[in-house]
Amino acid sequence: MDKPTSTSTQGRLRLERYLRTFAGIVIGVFLLWRVYNVIVLQQNFGADTWVRFGLSGLILGGMYALIAIGYTLVYGIMFMINFAHGEVMMLGAFGGFFTFEALRFIPAPTLSNPEYNFLNAHPFISVLLAFLVGISISAMAGYFLEKIAYRPLRRAPRLILLITAIGASIFLQNLAMLLFGPQRKNVVNPDILDRGAGWIVNVSGNDVLISYTGIFSLVLSTLLMIGLYILVQRTKLGRAMRAVALDKNTASLMGVDVDNVISKTFIISGALAGAAGVMWGIHMGLVNHYTGFLPGIKAFTAAVMGGIGNIPGAMLGGMLLGVIEAIGPAALGIDFQLKDVIAFSILVLVLIVRPSGILGEKLSEEKL
Amino acid sequence: MRSSAVDKGLRTGVVFGIVIVTMFLIGFTVTGAGLVGKIFGVQSSYSTPPLVFFSIFMILVGAWAGVTASPRPLLEADTWNRALLAGGSSGAVSGLFSAIIGFLFGELNSNRIDPRTYLPSVSPESIKMFLFDQTPFIGSLLMFALMTGSGLAAAALSFYLRNNGAVRSSLRKASESVWDSIRSERVSNIIQNKYTRYASLLAFAAILIILPRTWGGYWNYVFGTVGIYIILGLGLNIITGWAGQLVIGYVAFFAVGAYTFALLTAPEPHHLMMNFWVALGLGVLAAAISGLLIGLPILNLRGDYLAIVTLGFAEIIRILLKSDLMTPYTAGPRGIRDIAGPTILGKSFISDVDFMYLIIIAVLVVTFLANRLQNSRTGKAWYAINLDETVARATGINAFASKLLALSLSAAVAGLAGVLFASRNQFTGPDDHALMVSINVICLVIVGGIGNIPGIFLGAFALKGLPEILRETENYRLLIFGVLLIVMMRLRPEGFLPAKRPELEKASVQNPLGKEA
Repeated sequence: MDKPTSTSTQGRLRLERYLRTFAGIVIGVFLLWRVYNVIVLQQNFGADTWVRFGLSGLILGGMYALIAIGYTLVYGIMFMINFAHGEVMMLGAFGGFFTFEALRFIPAPTLSNPEYNFLNAHPFISVLLAFLVGISISAMAGYFLEKIAYRPLRRAPRLILLITAIGASIFLQNLAMLLFGPQRKNVVNPDILDRGAGWIVNVSGNDVLISYTGIFSLVLSTLLMIGLYILVQRTKLGRAMRAVALDKNTASLMGVDVDNVISKTFIISGALAGAAGVMWGIHMGLVNHYTGFLPGIKAFTAAVMGGIGNIPGAMLGGMLLGVIEAIGPAALGIDFQLKDVIAFSILVLVLIVRPSGILGEKLSEEKL
Repeated sequence: MRSSAVDKGLRTGVVFGIVIVTMFLIGFTVTGAGLVGKIFGVQSSYSTPPLVFFSIFMILVGAWAGVTASPRPLLEADTWNRALLAGGSSGAVSGLFSAIIGFLFGELNSNRIDPRTYLPSVSPESIKMFLFDQTPFIGSLLMFALMTGSGLAAAALSFYLRNNGAVRSSLRKASESVWDSIRSERVSNIIQNKYTRYASLLAFAAILIILPRTWGGYWNYVFGTVGIYIILGLGLNIITGWAGQLVIGYVAFFAVGAYTFALLTAPEPHHLMMNFWVALGLGVLAAAISGLLIGLPILNLRGDYLAIVTLGFAEIIRILLKSDLMTPYTAGPRGIRDIAGPTILGKSFISDVDFMYLIIIAVLVVTFLANRLQNSRTGKAWYAINLDETVARATGINAFASKLLALSLSAAVAGLAGVLFASRNQFTGPDDHALMVSINVICLVIVGGIGNIPGIFLGAFALKGLPEILRETENYRLLIFGVLLIVMMRLRPEGFLPAKRPELEKASVQNPLGKEA
């Protein structure tokens, strides 16, 4: 044990920072060398492939970003990893799936096609309905999660909150499995959002398909992020949320109803996760009880990468993580099975090299 | 006043109604009936249980609803009315929920619509049972009446028991006399007597030696698993219970131990065929080193990052083990076969009984070490960090080094458990190391009593032993774990057997797991 003098502590901190920077440089140089090797020297893939990867990464990244915002909002206010957030997203995905299934059974015959169902006769209303249902289910899940599981533990140590969150995650995941069965369900989209359809663009002599579902998800997630940013920066609720994140006690002295704000934060993060879930169903096409788990953890990675507590950071982190995950296996010349490994390795790398994230964390100075 | 009783009854009824609907939708009603049957010692596990048991199950649920709703402080004059109103309304509302769901699915069933496309757990048998083999209308009426009646009856009964002075005082007397006799000097003299202790130790050892020989293969397997989970729990307890850092991906270290051992002793893929004991040591060492490496960059940061990073690490290991990339080195998804058993002086010991002995010895050794650690200087340092890291640092504890030591010790113990696991099964594959294992271990540590060694034994027996006896609940095990975690954290965060600390540290009783948020 070293002597607890201030100089030695400072020296150790400085040494640690140097070590982290050094490790970052070494890892960065190694990765760049590897990418250079694969892309420039081996040239396994043409430009069209990279465009395809980048695009699917952006689409995936949009969903990650939506989920990551939920983590960051909750972490900023309660210093807790809402482990069940991925499961909230999964519930939203199921909401979308069941809406589509229900609408498929409603007949809406037209003259030209007597066997038309509601889903294809009114695709815009159907998609809107699916999002409404999914978002409300997830928002409700978030609300009740906070009310039942987390609120009684407001003054409890953080370890207890974290364990409760894990319990909630296990519970929701297995409830969904027991209710809906373990097999994956195919989400049947309206015909105009067919997964194989899209614009075809020519890149360096090869055709690249830009699917409608992908563009739809990307545009929608961008809009939602802009909406959230406006909500947080410009509205009264947003100001209250920022105040609570900064300092709960002072905020409550200033007349902010802290419990109410926390409740609303969970509703908002649940709603965003629900939107991401419905998008996941529409774009990926498969939904089961396990749908939320990996995206949830990856979105947390994204939130840490951007700087936890920092909303633009979560958006940036999500997009970046999506792109890295899509491009990574090809750029590093490794197996595509290992794309999940890349996401987790990034988490470890970020924590080694820059624990406060790219844009820096925004947390209050309360006891950490 | 009366309206508040009804209010409480209604709210409780809604909660119980939702619970009953959920139980029906996940098919737990049939399982519950089977469990009741098992208590009466009638039911075999895998057929539809008779209606009587289902009725008893529903009556129990209704009674629970009634008791929960019945008012607690019994001061007002008209409490009989209050109790009956609350219990009755609670039972009625939950009965209404059940009746509606039963009626709906009964109608669906009689119209030959199978709900199993979307709700696979709702079988026609369970619907029929839910309606007591009657038509949907009569069945749901029966259900409503049953729930209301049991709610009323239970509320009345609990009111009577709570309010009746004679019953209460006799209960209290009985419990007091039991406590007194336990605490009395004669008993404590006997317990503290040196010879009694030796005798009980001897008896304990004799039981441990004789039991595995008489159990037979199945129970040896079950209790071997319990033993391995005790070791895992003791290991996780070091970092989570004492040092206060949650590790979700604890299974990663288990996997490192198991795979190191397996690769060193199995004929494929490397044909190293090392000696059991050497490989055991190397497996434990590899796990400890992996803990050290994980901890180095992370432990200086905020506590909950460790939880998520270890989770990521566990997933990385599992995916890598399954991937084609590592197949030449780790045998890939097929797993490793023919892992060696222990040998002493060239003679191999691989029967069930031998392995049970090995596991018992390992459990005893780990328990002994953990016990020594707990009261050592290091153990006290961990406890100080757990209570308040800043204060601990101020008193001269090197928090980072202590936590690192705790993590690598934890990892080493997990490695030992992994070695035993791989060696006993003579096989290990990526699916043996799914996240489930970690969740099981976290649950058993928390349910038993975090930071308390006897608590971990209790937790392991309860969470790994009981489900073997209650095989019907297999599908619902994880769901129950989730509920258990949430409920335990709310009602009894210190576990069923809470850790005891000396009087000096009483100030922390409010806050058993660590510092304030």
